[in-house]
Amino acid sequence: MNLLDAPHGTPLRVVDLAGGESVRRRLMALGFHKGDIVVLEGQAILRGPLLVRNCRSDTTVALGRGVAQKVLVEAVHEPA
Amino acid sequence: MSQPEVPTVIFIGQPNSGKSTLFNSIAGPKAETSNFPGTSIKHTHSRVAIDGRLVDVVDLPGTYSLCTSDPAEQVVLTHLFSERPDLVINVIDASTLSRGLELTLELVELGYPMVIALNMIDVAERKGIELEAGQIERRLGVPVVPTIAAHGRGVRELLDRAFDVLDRGQTLKPPRFSDDVETPVAEVERLLPAGFPVFSNGRFTAIKLVETAGHACGDFLGEVEPGLREAVDGARRAIETDRGAPAYEVISAERHHQAMKLAEESSRVLHGRRMTWDKKVDAVLMHPVFGYVILAAVFVAFFVIIFKVGNPLETLLLGPFDALMAALAARLGDGLLFHLAEGLIQGIGGGVAIVLPYFLPLLFLMAALEDFGYLARAGFLLDAFMHRIGLHGKSVSPFILGFGCNVPAVVSTRILESRRDRVLTSLLIPFIPCSARTTIVLALVAFYLGPLWAMGFYVMNILIVALLGWIISRFLKEPSPGLILEIPSLKAPRPGAILRKTWLQVHSFIRFAWPLLIAGSLVLSLLGYFRADGWINSVLAPLVVKGLGLPQELGVTLVFGFLRKELSLIMMLQALGVDYQSLMTVISREQIVVFTVFVSFFIPCLSTCAILWKEIGRKWAVLSVGLSVGVALVLSWAVRLIL
Repeated sequence: MNLLDAPHGTPLRVVDLAGGESVRRRLMALGFHKGDIVVLEGQAILRGPLLVRNCRSDTTVALGRGVAQKVLVEAVHEPA
Repeated sequence: MSQPEVPTVIFIGQPNSGKSTLFNSIAGPKAETSNFPGTSIKHTHSRVAIDGRLVDVVDLPGTYSLCTSDPAEQVVLTHLFSERPDLVINVIDASTLSRGLELTLELVELGYPMVIALNMIDVAERKGIELEAGQIERRLGVPVVPTIAAHGRGVRELLDRAFDVLDRGQTLKPPRFSDDVETPVAEVERLLPAGFPVFSNGRFTAIKLVETAGHACGDFLGEVEPGLREAVDGARRAIETDRGAPAYEVISAERHHQAMKLAEESSRVLHGRRMTWDKKVDAVLMHPVFGYVILAAVFVAFFVIIFKVGNPLETLLLGPFDALMAALAARLGDGLLFHLAEGLIQGIGGGVAIVLPYFLPLLFLMAALEDFGYLARAGFLLDAFMHRIGLHGKSVSPFILGFGCNVPAVVSTRILESRRDRVLTSLLIPFIPCSARTTIVLALVAFYLGPLWAMGFYVMNILIVALLGWIISRFLKEPSPGLILEIPSLKAPRPGAILRKTWLQVHSFIRFAWPLLIAGSLVLSLLGYFRADGWINSVLAPLVVKGLGLPQELGVTLVFGFLRKELSLIMMLQALGVDYQSLMTVISREQIVVFTVFVSFFIPCLSTCAILWKEIGRKWAVLSVGLSVGVALVLSWAVRLIL
């Protein structure tokens, strides 16, 4: 599933970053890589961006829906 | 050891690592700091004497990595590669250590002499993490000094260690990648032809060749000859076959894991994640309902405070100037001397009594919001709205800065990744009412017609920006790449930093704009004395009288509005020959609105035109001027028809 379909508030593992090279490079530069554990922490109204926290580095980014769609995740069950 | 040349020390770090704050505490209060990713886009140089030693310190814009296509961040590459520094001070936000170390690892690969400032160590402690600087130091061979730049803690030791490295040099220990990455990289390094522009060392150059192949950020490596190109492509393919992912991603992931491992080894969790104050505040600030209520409240409060502070202050400050004028008129009669004195007093008085009361609170509040970290949150909240006008949330910060002054706002569009977004945002910024125009709106519309009219004016203004954005984005088809915006942790507002930033802006007003205002006022007075303003007015009369329905005398003020918008207000009073309080005796309410609308929209001021030309090119700058004149005419006519 991608981030848009993922549940909020539970740990998710990034399984792939799809999308073009520039978007992937940008995401990686901000510390988002395959295998990282992230949590969705909020969403703005009117199909606004998602708030994604990387549990490892404790950084938060806002991702527009187009970008969020390209981040593929799976649910993890052990605590982050 | 004697050092014939002044050594250059550069500050480099990820956005929001506190780099500019640290730089300020060393170089004095010259660099602007803020809490929005990528706001210190212009780099700041200064030559300082520390313990009797001269050092050139350079503060570079924050950058997430050394492989970037973002124009603000590319400044960093230019500095690193073409103006080889003698020492790098790498500033890391200790509270997000693992991500910060990814840039550090790149710098260690680069291999210039360096020192690490493990900054905001207090924030990390608040998060329940205890860091062991010694561990990072042992692993990388780089001195690591814990600092709290905002309080000046650790700065002394940082400087001592920095001088130590400058004097004695150091041996860095760049960690190695896995063998299946390291081997192809070593192969490229071996094949680097003699005379190839090697940056710092062969390994770094080879890594960057493999990592940046085919990407815009590889440009700084220059032309790669066919033989080497083949070797680089071979190395990339080898890595990609082994790992099943693009080489740049594999190398980035390698660093990511090195950084996580290093961060883990050097931190100890003291207690679990606590709900700290900033998390609680953030939950409200970015709440789907309360977030917007607060956003709206911030904007309203903004203008109410300016009106409440500015208005009484203005009345208070204007009094003495009016009295002085009256006294001079009685003493000097109507000669040249009187006209000169009148121009001088109105210029000075205009600066003191009309501009500062509004300008100052606006700048102060803007600086406070910026420092607190609210701009990124506003970007998050408004992203969906920005999409409607063909942009995204990252443009919110340049727009908000535009309320202060359009010029830095246009410069700050460099944080946007795509040229299309930069052009569109830069075209819209001149329509954002900057503080100079706010002065006019508040002094004319709010003062004579009431605060509600002024509020209405702003709402109309924002709608016009939205409408223009929507129209222009129809013509700029290329899709916007989407929002990727870091939300930095909130900072408790630091009065010192806010005051310093406010002072910087006020200072530049006093230095550049005020003399212009006084000179303009004098010129206008002289024009009056020699009756030359009549000539300008009659040339402009068809536009001013027929087109806008304003008194013919106001023609000349429009010319001055081009120099600086707030001049129009002072010039208006002078041209009509009345003082501020008795304006309504010569001009009607409708005319005030038409004048304000026209002056606000027509032509970006001289400085804005210049910066547009520089940032987005002549073609777009000319288009911007045309657009403003068009919009100003259409709107003023519309207002005339409606009122």
